[in-house]
Amino acid sequence: MTGMTPLGAEVPRQLLLYLTPAGSWQLAFYGVPIVLLLLLTFQASENFRVAWVWSLDTWISVFSAPHIWLALLRTLAMSALAVLCCFALAFPVAYVMVTRLSAYDAHIKLAILFAFLSDMVLKTYGWVLFLDQEGILNWILRALAVVPADYDTGLVFTLAATLLGITANLLPFMIFTIYLSLSAVDRDLLLAAYDSGASHLRAFRDITLPLCLPGVLAGGAFVFILSMGSLVEERVLGGGKDPMMGTLIRQTFETRVNWPLGAALTVVLFTVTIATMAIAGWQIKRMRGRT
Amino acid sequence: MKRLSYVDLHHQGTAQAPATGPGLTRRRFLEAAGASALAVGGASGPPRPAHAAGELNYVGWDGYQAPEVVGSWEKAHDTRIKFTSLTDSGGTFTKMVAGGYRDYDVITNDVPWIQRMGAADICHFLDAATFRETFDSFYPQFAQPFEPLMWDGRITGLPTRWGWVGVNINTKHSKPEDWNSYAPVFDPANRDRIGILDFGDWATFQVILYAGINPFEPLDQNQLDEVRKVFRALFNNTRLITADLVQAQRALLDGSALIFLAGGNYIASGMRKAGNMEIVSFVPEPINGMKQGVIWLEATAVVKDPADPELAEDLLKHLVSTEAGTALAWTEWSACPVPSKSVEALLSEEQKAVIDVANMWTNYDRSLTYTVAPNIDDILRIWQEELTR
Repeated sequence: MTGMTPLGAEVPRQLLLYLTPAGSWQLAFYGVPIVLLLLLTFQASENFRVAWVWSLDTWISVFSAPHIWLALLRTLAMSALAVLCCFALAFPVAYVMVTRLSAYDAHIKLAILFAFLSDMVLKTYGWVLFLDQEGILNWILRALAVVPADYDTGLVFTLAATLLGITANLLPFMIFTIYLSLSAVDRDLLLAAYDSGASHLRAFRDITLPLCLPGVLAGGAFVFILSMGSLVEERVLGGGKDPMMGTLIRQTFETRVNWPLGAALTVVLFTVTIATMAIAGWQIKRMRGRT
Repeated sequence: MKRLSYVDLHHQGTAQAPATGPGLTRRRFLEAAGASALAVGGASGPPRPAHAAGELNYVGWDGYQAPEVVGSWEKAHDTRIKFTSLTDSGGTFTKMVAGGYRDYDVITNDVPWIQRMGAADICHFLDAATFRETFDSFYPQFAQPFEPLMWDGRITGLPTRWGWVGVNINTKHSKPEDWNSYAPVFDPANRDRIGILDFGDWATFQVILYAGINPFEPLDQNQLDEVRKVFRALFNNTRLITADLVQAQRALLDGSALIFLAGGNYIASGMRKAGNMEIVSFVPEPINGMKQGVIWLEATAVVKDPADPELAEDLLKHLVSTEAGTALAWTEWSACPVPSKSVEALLSEEQKAVIDVANMWTNYDRSLTYTVAPNIDDILRIWQEELTR
C-alpha cells in the first residue's frame, strides 16, 4: 500500500501511519502556536492586555521602525560571525580528534559533552569573571607584566564579548557534527589518493573537506539558528547596550507588555531565520552543482 | 557586621536580586538548584503547620514567606501558605494577565504592576472601610487615598516595603557632593562609567526628571523629543545595563561603575547590611522645583476571585502589622523601610544606620511617588529605539 507525498513521490501507507503521532504532535504544539502567534500580530494592546481588534497597526509600526531592522541586522551579523568563529575553532578540534587523538576521542568527547551540558547561564557568567576589570584575564596579563598595572582589556560589555559568549556556548554543536562527518569519511579513499601521488593538502582539499561538508553545514545551521535567538550572552557579556532581536522581543513582551508587537517581532525573526537558512541552502546546493 | 567578600556577593545578590531580565538568570538557576537540592535531600525548608486545615497560594518576592513574617499568621489561621518566589515583576504580571491569576490568592509585586492589575481586571479591590485601622497605622505619606495604588478610584493593594531611587555611589570612588544632580551621568569624562539597573520602566525616570520633565504626567511631542535626547546622551556614557543585582553591586564595589541608576536604596541596603557602608543611596536636590527621585514601593494585593477573600485580606493586614513589618524591614539580604509607623521604634541604631532612617524622609520629599506614566509606552519605545540605535 502506498500514498503520495506533496512532491508526488510514493511512500508506504504504513510509514504515513507511523508518522501520524509525531505529525500530530508537531501540528498541535508547533503549528498551532505559530498560527496563534501570527493572529496575535493583528491585534492591539490596551491597558496591558490584548485587544482583539484585527488591524494592521502593529505591522505598520514594525515596518516603520528602523531600530527593529537595525537589531535584526545586528543579530544576523552576529549569528553569521558566530558560525564562522565556531567553524574556525571546531574544525581543527574535530579533525585532531578523528585523526591524531583517536585513542583519546572518548575522553575528549566526554569533556566537551560535560561542558556542553553545564548550564549556559553559569558558563556565560564565568566569562564575565574571566574578562572583567578585576577578572582573571587582566590579572594574568598584569601578573606577567606584559601590560601596566592598571591595564584593562576593556573586553567585557562589548559586542566582541557577546560573540565570544555565543561562540563558546554553541561550539559543541559544530564540533560534534563535524566530528561525525569526519568519522564517516572512508579512509580507503584517502589511501587511494596518497597512492595516486596526492599530497596531504590535496587529499584534504579534494576528499576530506567535500565529504565532511554536510557536517559543517549541519553544525552551521545549528549555530546560526540558535544564535538568532540568543539572549543571555548579549545581556550578560554584552552589557545590554547593543540589543539583538531576543532582547528586543523580551523587552516588548515583558517591559512594554505589548504582546502583538512582541509576536510580530517573533514572526519577523522566525521568518528571517528560515529565509536565511533557505537561501544559504539553495546557494550551497547551486555551488555543489557547479563543482 | 560581616564584610562581603567577592565570593559572598554572589550568594547575597542571587538571593536578593529581583531580576527582570531574560528567562534564565544565574539567580533563577541557583534558586532552582537550591529547590532541587532541598527536594532531593527531603528537606522541607522552614517549619510549616503539619496538617493545616487550609491553603493559600501566594506569589511574591523572596523574604515575604519567611517564618518571622508569616509563621504566626499560618499558625493562627491553621493555614499553610503555598509560596511561589517571584523573580520577574513584569514577566509575572504578563503571565497573570494571560490567565495565571487563577493560580494565586495573594501577590506581592512592585507598585506599578499591582496598580496595573486593576487596569487588567485581575485584581480583587479592597474596601477602604475594612482596612481603615490598617491605613491609620501607616506613616502619613502612605495615608488614603494613596494614589500609586489606586485604580479608577479603587484600592488595588497595600504598600508593604519602600525606598527611593536616586544616586547609588561608592564613596571610595566618588564623592556624594559631586552628585548634587545627575549631570555627571552625561559628562564625557565619565564615558563607560555609568550603570543602569534594567528594572522595567524604572530605568527611564531619573534622567527624564533631570531633563525637567515629569514622566508621570501626560507628555507632548516636544517633551518626548527631549526624552529622546536625554536617553541618547545617557547611552553614550553607559557601561552596563543589567537586571542582575550582583553585576550592579560588583560594578559599584570595584568602581567600574561610578553610579548605578534605578536601583535605589534596594541595591545599596544589601551591601550596607553586609558591612559596605561606603555604598550610599540618596536623591539629589530638586532642580527648578522638579523632584529628582522616584519612590519604589512593594505592595501586596489580593488576586481576582481568590478561594477565600476574607482569609486573603487578613493576610494583607498581617503583612503590614508591626510584627511582620519589623521582619520585612530587616531580611536576610536587604534592609529597607516599611510603611508602618510602629516598626521604627523597634529597630536598633545599627539597623537604622543601614536603612538610613535619618535621611529617608529627605529622600522621600525629593522624590515623586510612582503612578503609571500616561506615556510609558512612548517612553519605553524611545528607550528601545535609542538603545538599539
